[in-house]
Amino acid sequence: MSSASVLGQQARRTPRAWVLKVVPWAVVFVVLAIVPFEFPSFRVEQFCFWMTLAIAACGLNLLTGYNGQISVGHGALFGIGAYTTGILITEFSVPLFAASVAAAVVCFFFGLLIGLPALRIKGLYLALVTLAVATLFPLILEQFSSITGGSGGLQITSPQTYRGELRERPIRLESPFAGLANDQWKYFLFLGVTVVVFVLSRNLIKSRVGRALVAVRDNEVAAESSGIPISRVKILTFGLSAAIAGIGGSLFALNQGQLYPSSFTIVLSIYILVAVVVGGAASIVGPAIGAIFYGLFSDVIIQQLPDRIQPARAVILGVLLILLMLLAPGGVVGGFRSLQAKWVAQKNFRRARS
Amino acid sequence: MRDFLQILLVGIGDGAVYAMLGLGLVVIYRSTGLLNFAQGEMAMFSTFIVWTMWSIGLPMWLAILAGMAGGFGVGALVHQVAVRPVGDPHEKPLAVVIVTIGLFLGVNGAAQLIWGTLDRSLPPLFGRGQVTVFGVAVAWQKIGAVIALSVMVLLFYLLFQHTKLGLAMRAVASNSESASLVGIPVPRLLMLGWGLAAAVGTVAGVFIAPNLGLGTNLMQLTLIFGFAAITLGGFDSLVGAVVGGFVVGALSSVMPRYITIFEKMPLAPAFILILAVLLFRPEGLFGKKQVTRV
Repeated sequence: MSSASVLGQQARRTPRAWVLKVVPWAVVFVVLAIVPFEFPSFRVEQFCFWMTLAIAACGLNLLTGYNGQISVGHGALFGIGAYTTGILITEFSVPLFAASVAAAVVCFFFGLLIGLPALRIKGLYLALVTLAVATLFPLILEQFSSITGGSGGLQITSPQTYRGELRERPIRLESPFAGLANDQWKYFLFLGVTVVVFVLSRNLIKSRVGRALVAVRDNEVAAESSGIPISRVKILTFGLSAAIAGIGGSLFALNQGQLYPSSFTIVLSIYILVAVVVGGAASIVGPAIGAIFYGLFSDVIIQQLPDRIQPARAVILGVLLILLMLLAPGGVVGGFRSLQAKWVAQKNFRRARS
Repeated sequence: MRDFLQILLVGIGDGAVYAMLGLGLVVIYRSTGLLNFAQGEMAMFSTFIVWTMWSIGLPMWLAILAGMAGGFGVGALVHQVAVRPVGDPHEKPLAVVIVTIGLFLGVNGAAQLIWGTLDRSLPPLFGRGQVTVFGVAVAWQKIGAVIALSVMVLLFYLLFQHTKLGLAMRAVASNSESASLVGIPVPRLLMLGWGLAAAVGTVAGVFIAPNLGLGTNLMQLTLIFGFAAITLGGFDSLVGAVVGGFVVGALSSVMPRYITIFEKMPLAPAFILILAVLLFRPEGLFGKKQVTRV
């Protein structure tokens, strides 16, 4: 029996531990449910964007945090998800939901495509290749401007009935409930997808497959001699990670309604990486915390500064990344865990003395 | 044919710049063993220093020297405060990648804070004139880039092969532990390597800025070309960086001209080159093969 399930049983046995586990989550969900009613519409739109970032970071975390394959190019996969969604809706009048699913599938195959060379190219060199992908991606969008709209942008439209006639109109997520405004409906829709993605990722990590991911990261030779098919694990992780990033991108497309190549530069890839690292690589909720941090920081705090010193955002994020690597490589979650471990050790020490 | 030659020569001129950036990348890879993703941003920063010096009235050559000195300082500082404390890049690749990405963001943001987001214009060092050779027009600026690269290669050769300092730097590159046992101050030499790499980047920036306009995204594409150059040449080979630079320059000038799918993305051939070399010959043309002892 693995240590995790033993801990789980203990947690179930002692009521205090159970309360400690359930109460924080209950609070989080209550806060998440109240938020869209307490903030103006433009903030709710921003929260929707943070969620797309959290989803992409969750995907990157599976790959980089748990499987140890470094990608600095997830912005490109996010972009592929967004553009697939946009093009399917606009050109082929595919329903929004189907377009999102298709985007995830397309990204899955792109992930496999990048994962294949990643079997031979590792570590720093994989980072180099993915960085090149991220730099190349906006140029590809410009090259194929006949379908992507190039730098003029892609307006996502779908045929809708307007005053009795069917016309191409910008997409909108209409709320089916009278009590919910459109942006609130979108918020809950996105929240639902985000929660599903995170819960499924958690289940995957806690499963046999998840242990295989970590084993491959920690020691390939040992993993292989334990009978783990390394190549298959690595390629499929890349595909899955890309598919999740693609879902994030797809929601991004639905949120924005228009897409420009300038939204998918190397900087986007870096911000996804920031969300993973700040929250805590190789922890489930880390990317979500990281995405909220990034959102609060760049959409709320930095906006308080005068325009002239806005670029301070990049300076602060850069310095923060470096400091994190030097002082707390585990990010917020890692730091919290080590504090918790220290606290438990102290408690046991005191109990042993008395 | 003349058309082809024309494009090829333009490519070779650009290639000289990629080679310069590549030289810096190689010096850093040899000494600290990492791929410096912030190299381009550091070069952009010091090119802005050159611009500032020039715009307050210094003659161009003096401004460039000042920029190189500034770049040297930035490179050395960056190594001391950010790179060295993180540790061995091949044991902790993720931490090292993230630190260089952090530098990328930080240096880029710092340049935007200081110089704003508008493009500046830096005059071409060798003027806007051109000469006609065999019916093909070549800009003096391109010839100048090749000359500057040659001078740099010569200086590097003299430094590494004919000075005691260069010998010590080579010792650190080949085995830093043994080097430190025979009394070589390893950290100081690594710092020197980073400084030199940044200083070389300044010259690359000065040559590329008049073409692209001096903005904070000056180096983002150029960096990938530089990486393509050293991937082809071999990450630890100075000769490789030069040869690789010229090949990459020529390819990314010629191919978009004749293959319509690459028309708006000259970066694509460079990307394919990086991928192909890493897949089939990871040590590149002149690099040392990495061997792990079991």
